[in-house]
Amino acid sequence: MLKDIIRKEIVETITSPKFVFTFLLCAVLILLSVYTGISNYAAEQKEYNAAVALNKKNLESQKNYQSLAGLGTKVNRPPQVLSAISSGVDEAVGRVATVNVAYDPSLVESKYESNPVFSVFGALDLAFIVKIVLSLFAILFTYNAICGEKESGTLKLTLSNKVPRDRLILGKVIGGYISLLIPLIIPLLLSLLLLMVYPNIHLTGGDWGRLLLMFLYFFLYLSVFFTLGLFVSARTSKSSTSFLALLFIWVVFVTIIPKVAVMTAAQLKPIPSVHEITSKKDAFLQEIQGGAQKKVMDWMQQNQAKPGEDPKVFQDKFKKYLEDFQQEATAQIDANNAALERDYQAKKRAQQNLAINLSRVSPASALTFSTMSLARTGLDEHQRFLDSIRTYKPIFSKWINSKMMQSIDFTTGAMGSVDLAEMPVHSFQSESLGKSLARTIPDLILMIVMIMAFFAGAYLSFLKYDVR
Amino acid sequence: MLETQNLTKIYEDGRMAVDHLTMKVEPGEIFCMFGANGAGKTTTINLMLNFIPPTEGLALIEGIDVTKEPLKSKEFVSFVSENVMLYGNFTAIQNLDYFTKLAGKRNLTKADYAAVLQSVGLQKEAYDARSKTYSKGMRQKLGLAIAIIKDAPNIILDEPTSGLDPKSGQEFLNLLAEMRDKGKSVFMSTHDIFRAKMIADRVGFMKNGKLGLLKTRAELEGEDLTELYIQYMDERD
Repeated sequence: MLKDIIRKEIVETITSPKFVFTFLLCAVLILLSVYTGISNYAAEQKEYNAAVALNKKNLESQKNYQSLAGLGTKVNRPPQVLSAISSGVDEAVGRVATVNVAYDPSLVESKYESNPVFSVFGALDLAFIVKIVLSLFAILFTYNAICGEKESGTLKLTLSNKVPRDRLILGKVIGGYISLLIPLIIPLLLSLLLLMVYPNIHLTGGDWGRLLLMFLYFFLYLSVFFTLGLFVSARTSKSSTSFLALLFIWVVFVTIIPKVAVMTAAQLKPIPSVHEITSKKDAFLQEIQGGAQKKVMDWMQQNQAKPGEDPKVFQDKFKKYLEDFQQEATAQIDANNAALERDYQAKKRAQQNLAINLSRVSPASALTFSTMSLARTGLDEHQRFLDSIRTYKPIFSKWINSKMMQSIDFTTGAMGSVDLAEMPVHSFQSESLGKSLARTIPDLILMIVMIMAFFAGAYLSFLKYDVR
Repeated sequence: MLETQNLTKIYEDGRMAVDHLTMKVEPGEIFCMFGANGAGKTTTINLMLNFIPPTEGLALIEGIDVTKEPLKSKEFVSFVSENVMLYGNFTAIQNLDYFTKLAGKRNLTKADYAAVLQSVGLQKEAYDARSKTYSKGMRQKLGLAIAIIKDAPNIILDEPTSGLDPKSGQEFLNLLAEMRDKGKSVFMSTHDIFRAKMIADRVGFMKNGKLGLLKTRAELEGEDLTELYIQYMDERD
């Protein structure tokens, strides 16, 4: 009997106009979003390679270490292949950081910065399609699952037979869910195929694992709205009431809660503005620079070359002093900036965590955070990359300061040419799959709890449902 | 056999919908229940099919208490509602196939379904047409086909002839008569006095949840049923 109910649910749905509409729209949107995502990634990869090559060329063209120190080196954030599925914050945060002695590095030149109109509507990636469009389809498939049958009288006719209610609701859940998956699975499989055949797109085993986990989260997210639809349908007696109630809940879940959570977190845990931090950093830099000239002059007065002394000895001493002075000043600046940054980042992280945890009440937020983490396009990955640049900065500064002093010949005024082979290289290791997965566990648990709660609600409500 | 014993339903708002109803429909009998809207006819049917629990009393199908053994009791009853609404995207055959399987009958062929549909007078062209394109009369016929194919010993019908044209109504009555002849107990709530008089073995008049007047076919001979109905309804409680 269960099989008959499941079969009926599937046949009834796939022969309906809403199925045809859903299937066509899903196919177009899913394939379009994945294709656009892959094309964007390919373009970004090309841009990244060009930027890296240009940086190398610029560095190589520097005649001496002094000009190299002034220019600094650029660190480019490599694009993530899975941004084709979930672009996360990738387009909102900067893609390149200039590392030099003077300034604290930060990522600039985001896609939104270069074209702010993108930020108005956001990216049309697969995660967005699932979050907005497919969740509405899940509602469309279930809002009248029970109350609709009551309205049409088929529920009475069904229950006038030897049909246990628990089996009927179970059949409706299984059959309805399969019907919802059919229009999704085919375009999703095609999009996987697209990822495999698209030129210059290489997914590692880990990437495939991440991708499959993202798909799992997509299905869980849709299950939340599917079971919610059933629950509301089992609590109402009119399809119109059910649809309106579901639409209201959807708006609250998808748009209101995430925004309110961020606003609440900003109120509860305020952080200083970026300008405030920058001006503090600049003030300290000016203080160090202002005192530098006087200190050097004082040193020169106190350590003047004695008559008859070999000028080479004084020059070496002066060079040593300058190098030590430069290193100390840079270290002081770095330490001050790092302390300010640490404090700022700690406050920012506390605010971010509060916003994330508050917004997780919404399955849409849970989906957003989990897919971003799995695609390595989330806030944490961005922060880790920024931290890696900030770790690299003092290493680069120390190297360039040392090279600048060592390469000057005070007798002739000649400056040695640049040897890039010795330059420390920035390195960044992306988060492992295990760690990304661990980060998504709260979202996984939240979605499973919601599914179970809504299903239990639908099940219990239907057992007592007034079929009249 | 269909039976109620002191069957009572008081809704949450305190309204007495069915008031200690005791009645019996024997095998091979058609019992027609009259009553104004809100008299308690549909509530009685809902109680008999265990769609709602009684406040007091029993509803029995083939002697089985529908509250205690709801699933078992439903093996022995078919139901046709006032406005049969089926799965609109399904054809007659698909609807019939689904409900037949729910009734526990398997291994029936398309030819079996066609035979039943033919017996209720549904046009052949409609067998494979989506039921959402059917007229009310066609849907009622399909509803009756679903009841017939279940082959239960009891049939409950809730105002099945309302809105049917005279020809369809007559065909419908003929089918009910056939079922009676096969020994089935038929309980029908209706406002259709004219048709009920033609077919009923017994009629009952319900008012304010009470079954106040019962007449057999013999007792109705020479009586103006419409006059009887109006008189009864106008009587003070």
